[in-house]
Amino acid sequence: MSQEIILEARKINKSFSGVQVLSNVDLDIRRGEVHALMGENGAGKSTLIKIITGAYTKDSGAVLWKGQEVEIGSLKDCQALGMACIYQELSVIPALSVAQNIYLGREPKRGKTGLIDYRKMNREAQELIDKYEFPLQATDTVDSLGIGLRQLVEILKGLSCNSELLIMDEPTASLSGKEASILFNIIGTLKNQGVSIIYISHRLEEVYRLSDRLTILRDGKNAAVLEKEEIVPKEVIQTMIGKVVDESAGSKKTLTRNTNEAVLKVEGLTRKGFFEDVSFEVRKGEIVGFGGLIGAGRTEVMRCLYGEDRYQSGKIYIEGKEYVPTSTRKSIELGFGFVPEDRRGQGFIPLLSVNRNTALTNYDIISRTVGAISSKEELDMCRKIIEKIDIRPADPEKQVGLMSGGNQQKVVIGKWLLRDLKILIVDEPTAGIDVGAKDEIYHILEELAASGVLVIVVSSDLQELVRISHRILVMRKGKIVKELAEGVVTQADILEAASGIEDEEVVAV
Amino acid sequence: MNKNTIRKLVSAGLLLILIVVFTVSSDYFLTPGNFMEILRDASVVGIIGVGVTMVILTAGIDLSTGSTMALVGMTMANIYRYTMLPIWSMVLAGILAGILAGIFNGFIVTKLSLPEFIATLSTMNIFRALTYIISIKQNGLITSQALKARSFVALGKSVGGIYYVILVFLLLAVIGQIVLKYTRYGTNLYAVGSNMKAAKLSGINTDRTRLLAYTITGGCAGVAAVFMTARLQSTTALLGSGMEFNVIAAVVVGGCSLAGGRGDIIGTLIGAVFMATLDNGIYKFQINTAYQLIIKGVIIICVVAFDSWYNNFMDEASRNKKRKGAGA
Amino acid sequence: MKNRFSMERYSRVLILLLFIVALTIIRPKNFPTVNNISNVLWSISVVGILVSGSIFVMLLGGIDLSVGSLMGLSAVITVIMIRNSDYSNTGVILGVSLALLTGIAAGALHGFIVMTFHVPAFLVTFATQSIYLGISMVLTNNKILSCLGPKMFTDIGLGRIGPFTFPIYFMLIIALISYFVLNRTVLGRHIYAVGGNPDAAKISGISVRKITMLSYITSGLTAAIGGIVLASMTQQGMASTGSGYDTEVITAAVIGGVSLAGGAGTIQGAIVGAMLVGLLNNGMNLMNVPSTNQGLVKGLVIICAVALDIMQKNEKKIRLPFAKRKS
Repeated sequence: MSQEIILEARKINKSFSGVQVLSNVDLDIRRGEVHALMGENGAGKSTLIKIITGAYTKDSGAVLWKGQEVEIGSLKDCQALGMACIYQELSVIPALSVAQNIYLGREPKRGKTGLIDYRKMNREAQELIDKYEFPLQATDTVDSLGIGLRQLVEILKGLSCNSELLIMDEPTASLSGKEASILFNIIGTLKNQGVSIIYISHRLEEVYRLSDRLTILRDGKNAAVLEKEEIVPKEVIQTMIGKVVDESAGSKKTLTRNTNEAVLKVEGLTRKGFFEDVSFEVRKGEIVGFGGLIGAGRTEVMRCLYGEDRYQSGKIYIEGKEYVPTSTRKSIELGFGFVPEDRRGQGFIPLLSVNRNTALTNYDIISRTVGAISSKEELDMCRKIIEKIDIRPADPEKQVGLMSGGNQQKVVIGKWLLRDLKILIVDEPTAGIDVGAKDEIYHILEELAASGVLVIVVSSDLQELVRISHRILVMRKGKIVKELAEGVVTQADILEAASGIEDEEVVAV
Repeated sequence: MNKNTIRKLVSAGLLLILIVVFTVSSDYFLTPGNFMEILRDASVVGIIGVGVTMVILTAGIDLSTGSTMALVGMTMANIYRYTMLPIWSMVLAGILAGILAGIFNGFIVTKLSLPEFIATLSTMNIFRALTYIISIKQNGLITSQALKARSFVALGKSVGGIYYVILVFLLLAVIGQIVLKYTRYGTNLYAVGSNMKAAKLSGINTDRTRLLAYTITGGCAGVAAVFMTARLQSTTALLGSGMEFNVIAAVVVGGCSLAGGRGDIIGTLIGAVFMATLDNGIYKFQINTAYQLIIKGVIIICVVAFDSWYNNFMDEASRNKKRKGAGA
Repeated sequence: MKNRFSMERYSRVLILLLFIVALTIIRPKNFPTVNNISNVLWSISVVGILVSGSIFVMLLGGIDLSVGSLMGLSAVITVIMIRNSDYSNTGVILGVSLALLTGIAAGALHGFIVMTFHVPAFLVTFATQSIYLGISMVLTNNKILSCLGPKMFTDIGLGRIGPFTFPIYFMLIIALISYFVLNRTVLGRHIYAVGGNPDAAKISGISVRKITMLSYITSGLTAAIGGIVLASMTQQGMASTGSGYDTEVITAAVIGGVSLAGGAGTIQGAIVGAMLVGLLNNGMNLMNVPSTNQGLVKGLVIICAVALDIMQKNEKKIRLPFAKRKS
């Protein structure tokens, strides 16, 4: 790593309709360093990146590339400079081949005909693939590849324009542990070749492991710039959040085994290709956390349990009786509640009001006369829910699509609360939600557990798991690999089990 | 083998079965004359199909091609009747009218962001009405318009036993296939249809890509109208009605996915010949033409259902393969 | 928010009134006559019946392009049954029931195909439109079958109570049922939910398949009713009886504020839309616009209505993140 600064952003300001999103933000990236950019959701990370890559225009400030001030208006400008962005949402085209994807928009042409020179394109693509030893063929069609491999295509795309700076936005979000460790090796290689990387991730452990320096944003301002030796996990979290983190709530906690009777018992549940021989039980008053990396099969287990997907073998017992979930309706009637992972996609109906959303699961308990729903009862029910979990604004007629993420999630949870609930399954309860609302949601879950509801929380947020679970089960590659039920449990314990012992270097902080 | 290749072989197999069935049941079917007949009919559908394939690749649809044909025919009839312009400029003006119609479609779809089917369903009515408005009336009645200039009528004829329209279709098909497979524009079409957001992120001008696809379709409908009217030596306000249906059927039978990003002109060529063979066979058997409507409707549904099943099946298969690979 | 919506609804009624006033001023001798008004109501009633059912499908984000040819099939079936049973009342009952059953079966078929194969609805109904037209042509041998009796049959379309003909009452009854179902029943709530976000609806325990099937069946059923009414009004059965009605229905719905993306729209709006379409047609006829040319206006109206709807939605979308920041 040299001290040469390749990219510098100076005093960047940006506001949207009067709201200041970035104020006087600085960022400087040295040649050949991995520079992590951190901050909570809404801290301004993505806005800053979008300004650097030309997707937004800045209000004031300057972007310097190798010391020269540059105006970047589009992705083309970025490429011309030698900067590439690997997006969080996959931007590969399934219908095209790996090579076509890599060279999309700048295909090599054959002489004067203007036709694409596939031989050259495939050869160059293959050379690139071989250089980094990716398990890919240049002529593979992308739609035959899994998510992890698609991400590699995305990275190749960035590398192919001889980029000197790569921006990676949550690159491991959809990768398995193995794929992630391949990616980390690649990042190491790139670094040695003098490529700089801006690394944005919520997975703190990755950031600690990879980054040479770290810039932390908070509320659209620079909160800190740390050198490698200065990076101390606890302090980073503190700086990000801006308040002292209670140790027991954040990174470790002492658990004691719950000895109540087991209400839910799952034995040997298997869905081929997704998970295998999953057995666990949940006891009265317990919040059981499911940890693991994305793709470990946690969500799939829950969907089968809830009756949304089918499993091939295994048994489920509820209060001693065998239960076969054949439909979600049946599960709901039995006392299940389900808060899906993809809130916007599956959680609520954005066009409808809070009232209509909360009533959706409850028409079996709202009275009817000659088929006509009692609108009053519907509304009363909604008001009760709003009051119970403090949904803001407290307006039953408000369209849910126009509310903030935290309140949307409360609506999604709220529709289960007036039922005779036995089991509530919550998948990634606080993804993309601000800190204040997070605490409120934890509170709701804790209250539910205290009132006797079995709560199952699937989460990729280690801090969250440690914070709210009474017992943590860790899944890896479709199997439960670890139970953390007694004694001191730390985030590192979960991560170790989730990423597998053989990938030990992944966990090393 | 590539799954798109398999899909094309399925279409070709269907076509073969159809030909065998008709050949066995009728002596008149497999004669050189009838064969040319079929290709001639297939060519009109196919010419439009070249454009519609591009539109469907972008996950769009064009229901207005039949009406565009009528508009083109009537534009030419007006020029023929009221001006002394040379025939070639009449033909060019006709094709230009088609291109303009296509641009109008593309404009509504991209700039006003209307769903494709509702946009082109509306323009289907609009273009047809425009045709009526500009059609030439005699005693207040709309009649068919003769287009009998010798050099124009010649376009409907053949050279060495092969109709011009077939040659033009083959030429357009070859150009279309090259554009799809060997140019940036072609790659962009697949990219837009397969993942519009990603295409945008990759710096592709998605609006321009789609607009151009509709424009090409309009132009193709224009060319098809020229040959159709040259053959009929006249045009009416009803020219091409139902044609959009045939074209979409041909493209779908050829393996283009309505979800976008899958298919090519070779498939459409097979599809066009399939539809023409079907029509021809039905006609030769002297079956009530009403059955044509039923059979085509059933075929579209069956093919689309098959595609849906087939794609699921193949995706599942490739996923399983990958999983095994990953597990090892 | 709420105010904005009622403003929208209000503005549609306003346009309707303006239309009536304008027509009265432009054609004072022709428009406000008993004869003409009952003509207008006639055409409004058919579109109103159709849209009361088709709106179910549109609220799901689907579309039914087969309405027109299904009407033709239903008209043909009714008339053939009546003619085959010597114009008896039993024939009428048989014909009508068979036509209704056909509508239900057709709707079930659409729902089944859309759900099972995940094929876009417009393509399915685009294909079945051709199938139904073909069947009607086969049944009638492509001829017009006239059917002047019995009274029980002709009354369906031409009978009167007070100043209005039966179809107006049919429309009112069907629209009211539709209103009740959409606004007061669980089914209605579920339809809006599935149309707004099918995945979320599914997770909430709603059977998307059942709702989809029911909606397409409703659309098929109202198309069949429309066909019967039209057959009785015109006293004939013809394969192409309903041609053009699919566009009329879509026009009425989109003018009435039903979003083609699903999840938004009301039956009241759609009925106002049907009235606007009826007046538009009548206005054009009174201005001596030939029917062949009217497609131009209708096409432009659809484009404008949908474009406005989309622009409004985009505006909301853009406002969204900033509204969030403020709170």
